[in-house]
Amino acid sequence: MGEALTRRTAIGRLGAVGVAVATGALRRPAPAGAQAASPALGLQESVQDGLKRVFGGRPMKDGAAMIKLDVPPIAENGAVVPVNVEVTAPMTPASYVKTIWIVADKNRIPIVAKATLTPESGEAFVGANIRLGETTDVRAVVEQSDGTLLVAKREVKVTVGGCGG
Amino acid sequence: MSDVGKIRIRVPSSVKAGDIIRVRCLVIHPMERIERDAQGKIIDRNYNYITRVTATYLGKPVVAFDLTQSVSENPAFSFALKATAPGPVKVTFVDTHGGKYEGTADIAFA
Repeated sequence: MGEALTRRTAIGRLGAVGVAVATGALRRPAPAGAQAASPALGLQESVQDGLKRVFGGRPMKDGAAMIKLDVPPIAENGAVVPVNVEVTAPMTPASYVKTIWIVADKNRIPIVAKATLTPESGEAFVGANIRLGETTDVRAVVEQSDGTLLVAKREVKVTVGGCGG
Repeated sequence: MSDVGKIRIRVPSSVKAGDIIRVRCLVIHPMERIERDAQGKIIDRNYNYITRVTATYLGKPVVAFDLTQSVSENPAFSFALKATAPGPVKVTFVDTHGGKYEGTADIAFA
């Protein structure tokens, strides 16, 4: 019994080393480390810089009428804040919602998540649990297949921040 | 820690052909936050968090999420899809430590 366990753990460790070596080798060319995996996201920046970098100053229309941004008005725990974004727009191959960005203005990493949709979805709806560091506006930026950008935002009051450090 | 990568996917139990349904999925993952030392400088290491989530239905991509560390621990996602035929929904999670986790759920018509 003892012998079998030792062998198993030994094999497990070997496997872990293999994975570590493989990922290390993959990551070496990109010195940015953890952030190399998604270059368009995950930077520490202000929300203005982030929006400028991602959208390059393209005009954004007010999409409050089309975008239903479902966030709690008060989040007791900033570590888990459910955000649901629903867009009342057709989802056909000719015209559909291509991407939905979730942006939390005051987070150190303001561009939180990007969802890429396909017409297969049938409905432009995504939801995710995000972290909020402090009371902040949460925006949903919607890009349609023709390139139109729409934005909606709502404030979330955070009692206990969830971003730490 | 041994639970990392455990995936739960929920689909509605009664689905009719052509319905647009909402799928919820959850993965057990630490989604490590950026840590700072006493001087407030970021400790540079390879933080383990999920960068990409992809969902397919009947082999066709439905939605893909690109994530950052601003996403919660044990992240949960939801998305919609149009149920055209019975079949599997497959969700794949990829993290920065080379971890790849997959879960499937079957859509069955009532």
